[in-house]
Amino acid sequence: MTRWNEDVDEVQAVSPDITDETNALPAKYFTDPDVWEMEKEKVFSRYWVYAGHENCIPDAGDYFTRTVGDKQVIVARDEDGDVRAFYNVCAHRGSKMVADTPMTDPGNMGRIQCPYHLWTYDLDGDLRSTPRSFEEASLNPDLDDSDVAGLDPDENGLLEVRTDSIGPLVFLNFADDPPLSLAEQAGKLKTRLESLPLEEYQHARRYVSEVACNWKTFGGNYSECDHCQANHQDWITGIQLDESALEVNDYHWVLHYTHEEDVEDELRIHDEHEAQFHYFWPNFTVNMYGTADGYGTYIVDPIDEERFQLIADYYFAEPELTEAEEEFVRTSRQLQEEDFELVERQYEGLRSGALGQGQLGPNEHTLHRFHRLAQEAYNA
Amino acid sequence: MTADDVPFVACCPDCTERTTATDPNEVVAFYRRHHAVTGHDVSWERTPPLAADVPADPDVDAVVAALGDPDVALGAVSAAASEWGWTVGETLDAVHDRRLTGALWEPRDDHVALV
Repeated sequence: MTRWNEDVDEVQAVSPDITDETNALPAKYFTDPDVWEMEKEKVFSRYWVYAGHENCIPDAGDYFTRTVGDKQVIVARDEDGDVRAFYNVCAHRGSKMVADTPMTDPGNMGRIQCPYHLWTYDLDGDLRSTPRSFEEASLNPDLDDSDVAGLDPDENGLLEVRTDSIGPLVFLNFADDPPLSLAEQAGKLKTRLESLPLEEYQHARRYVSEVACNWKTFGGNYSECDHCQANHQDWITGIQLDESALEVNDYHWVLHYTHEEDVEDELRIHDEHEAQFHYFWPNFTVNMYGTADGYGTYIVDPIDEERFQLIADYYFAEPELTEAEEEFVRTSRQLQEEDFELVERQYEGLRSGALGQGQLGPNEHTLHRFHRLAQEAYNA
Repeated sequence: MTADDVPFVACCPDCTERTTATDPNEVVAFYRRHHAVTGHDVSWERTPPLAADVPADPDVDAVVAALGDPDVALGAVSAAASEWGWTVGETLDAVHDRRLTGALWEPRDDHVALV
């Protein structure tokens, strides 16, 4: 039963059973600024979140920054070829060290240096050197130089953030003791993606859009295609929606779309004769297309409770796109714009305060999983 | 207010992402977010008529002096500098340079004034 806010503001937790009448996340979790503050810790600091694509930083010293909530990390390739992540915070007095550097325009540095007092770190995060003023006490009349003990490179290094990968896709976890490994959180998604030659494809396009709705509103829209017939006329051409399948796993769900006509093998990266759209909790998607030899990812990045950035990346065999690939990306952009209109309209409704708790349909089981995961995270 | 009535409109020329705002500093915030994930700059498409004259030759201090009473929003400085064809990023860089020479200061967040 839909619960309006007209009488009593009575809502309940998302029911485990989708057939119950309280099967949706209460509306306040989409609109309350305090919920976004809670999500920074309970969602984005506990689960594995996508950092970026390691193909973009092939050489030692290559790096980009990634901001998740209030936290920013430097994602860098070290001298051993490993990709590591460190808080973009100097161990001296907490200064932010490097400027914002997007994955699409990475930087390169031999060492990580804080511009404030020139504390310098190796690419493994160890403190490499400090200026003489930290090794001598010449300005302090109460100390002799011999009183200065020096700084242990390991003990005074950068704070590392846990990373793990699925193929070339690098993920972060900010928790001291993550409740799940990346393998546990990704489950079958990891196996499925690792069977594909994702690393052979190059980053070709990034589009970033700001959308006026809560990030979960877009996440929910991505997770079902009941709205497609009415709203994505170009997209559904050639797709058999009635033969599509929705697969639900612990922390990800997959929308499988079958094409009406068999797609040529060279037009897709995967074997199945279908497109696969994976949503990976909390805010990442991997889009395996049936009609393009490439793949895409979305980062559904919250700005605050009422806005998010959709960071759409496209990977193809070559970064210079063919005309057909350009057209494919254009169609994908059109699909996004159509969805933005839908989710912004939905959010206007949610923000009115009229709805206390909505009602999911029996075929919105992917969305139910999404809402359940949010509820579990809030209660953890 | 419809989209056509919104006074400030800016756009990323590289990927055509557009933003509309009633407060020019919202465009500055948009630029910072967009630049952080793409490296792209942002150009102004529409600004309301200015209440002061902008000098013909680029001069950030003169714009701040003309607009600031007692201070002026960074976004308003950038909107005015668009008359010289400057992007948001170019304006912020110019303001940064002037602050580092002591000519400008920031009496409150994202507002500047002459020293």
